[in-house]
Amino acid sequence: MKQPRTSWNILLLALLLPILLLVAINITIGNAHSTETFKRFGNALLTSFIIMGILLLGNLIAYADSRHRPAAPLVGMLAAITVGILLTVALVSYSDLLLESNSGVRSQILSNIVRLLVSGSAMAIAGVLAVGLTFAAITGRPRRVLFYEEE
Amino acid sequence: MEAMVEAAIWFWLPLILVPIGFWLAISGRGEKGGKILAGLGLILVMASPWTVPSSDSTAAGHLLLAILGPTLLLAYGLHGMIFGGEVPVGKLDNSARWSGALAVGSSIFFMGMMHWSTFTPIWRGQVNPYWMVFWPTFLMFGTSLCSAAGVALTGFGDDRNKEATNLILASIILAAIALAAMFIDGSNTSAGEFRNHLWSAAADILGTVAGAGAAIATFAIVIWAYERSLPDPENSPPPSDEEIKHVVSLADAHLDGGEEE
Repeated sequence: MKQPRTSWNILLLALLLPILLLVAINITIGNAHSTETFKRFGNALLTSFIIMGILLLGNLIAYADSRHRPAAPLVGMLAAITVGILLTVALVSYSDLLLESNSGVRSQILSNIVRLLVSGSAMAIAGVLAVGLTFAAITGRPRRVLFYEEE
Repeated sequence: MEAMVEAAIWFWLPLILVPIGFWLAISGRGEKGGKILAGLGLILVMASPWTVPSSDSTAAGHLLLAILGPTLLLAYGLHGMIFGGEVPVGKLDNSARWSGALAVGSSIFFMGMMHWSTFTPIWRGQVNPYWMVFWPTFLMFGTSLCSAAGVALTGFGDDRNKEATNLILASIILAAIALAAMFIDGSNTSAGEFRNHLWSAAADILGTVAGAGAAIATFAIVIWAYERSLPDPENSPPPSDEEIKHVVSLADAHLDGGEEE
């Protein structure tokens, strides 16, 4: 079996390097990060966790159909989502740890969801572009002959 | 209060319909209905600047509508590029590859013009605030994914260096566009504004990926914990004499091959 010439670490580096490079250039020209960046990271993380958790909750219903409808996984996932929501409310309310330029908890949460919609769309379109270009590159090469007919 | 109810009916409810529709379509519980529901939800979200103009959230609907054209052009181009190549089924004419590449290039060029030229999405007389969320996020994530795809192709594939080079080139082009936006002002946008939003875009990408990853890990742990708590399945009883006879007769019928010619 052919040994792969790369590892998951190199793949992860290839994934992160362009982002780190752009951010490094941004720092070099004097645009240092602010506390708002950490707030944005925290809000994006919690919102994405909750929304993804709710979407996966739908999958648990399909899973339950094949397992005599157990309640335990559903309760476990609901508990995790609830923890995420409570954590968001607490961190937004407590000393404005995650409060950006919004008037309160409710407007911050709604703003987070709308922002996730936009950044998620951007990431999805970028994903379509990258996957599409990969397949276009693969199908662009003439098909190789795998077996030669014996004369 | 009335504005809130209007926003709930014309923006938030349609927004909720989109994932529900997708889920119905993917789960096979109502494929056609799910697609219609998701499509209807998306159209209503994009129409929200007209249906509920008082809500600030409609800026997102306005932006989605503004990028619909370039996105469809991008999808059309990629379809042509993929199926104009060597595919076993559904092969398009060879010219589809070139027209597809042209469409992809035009789509990216048009998005660039939306940033630098006068096509920038304008909402309530100003640049749509979400444009500066979308554009850096798209460029950063695009360059990152193309770079990873290039490394994956050359690393895991067999003799794929040329294809990997093309993907790395695509990654460099997207990074170059991002760098240009960091230094060149547009008609309605400034380089300084883009640089400030670059941090937010990086935070958005890393936060969203980490959050989604944590949700998937939680999902896996919940199912694993439940499956682990289940008792081992009982051993099935050994086959009866009648069953063994049936199996032997089946084996006999298939073991006796035809004579060699």
